[in-house]
Amino acid sequence: MKLIRAIIRPESTQRVIEALEKNSIYAMTRMNVTGRGKAMGITQGPVRYTEMPKEMLMIVLPDDVVTKAIRVIETAARTGTKDYPASGNPGDGKIFVTDVEESYTIRTNEK
Amino acid sequence: MKQIIAILRDERVEETKAALEAIDVRGVTFLYVTGRGEQKGRVSARELAGSLNRNMRMQLGPPLPVDKLPDAMTGAAGFGFHPDADFALGFLPKRMLVIISCDEEVNRIVQAIVNSNQTGRHGDGRIFICPMISALRVRTGEQGDKALS
Repeated sequence: MKLIRAIIRPESTQRVIEALEKNSIYAMTRMNVTGRGKAMGITQGPVRYTEMPKEMLMIVLPDDVVTKAIRVIETAARTGTKDYPASGNPGDGKIFVTDVEESYTIRTNEK
Repeated sequence: MKQIIAILRDERVEETKAALEAIDVRGVTFLYVTGRGEQKGRVSARELAGSLNRNMRMQLGPPLPVDKLPDAMTGAAGFGFHPDADFALGFLPKRMLVIISCDEEVNRIVQAIVNSNQTGRHGDGRIFICPMISALRVRTGEQGDKALS
């Protein structure tokens, strides 16, 4: 089992969630975060924004579905032009994958 | 060292805190999140109304079985909806608890969380155990197990 943490633009969230739903991935946790990457925020004229609002999606999936889920999130979260799906913009986000050793369902108290 | 991520109902968090206190687990991080599971965020109006008081429960009566629901019962808004109508909300408000603990404590912590959160209804939540490489106490710079105690 793997835990996917996808940090995406808030405006891409709906698109990403719909893309995941099309691939039968429904269960996820979503939280509002702020953060920055290599660009350390953005500068608009005299104002420097050092933290940008983002949305973090946490999805726990069995190992065999993980690569597909990452590709789905990646494609839906990119904000490049439609002609070149490979392009994106800074600030589109990052996807992190870590291990999950065990998972318990509280309702039924089983693993 | 393990990271325990528990996604729970908001109304159960105080009980969970007490249960964790009872087993001497002090360090917990709480986040407000939204989420859904296999039910895809569907709740009945009864569930939405939260803990109904006894008067309301007696007025509403027992829940209808699914095949007896009247037609066009999904997604009504505002007053006048049937308490057993289904709402597809998408994402439901939950609380996420993050606890870092040593390997030996994990089972006790999981049991304490399950016991204070299990109601048998959908939406009780999930617990994930992830491996953790290291922890550090910012105040003193202690690393490893000393940072957890």
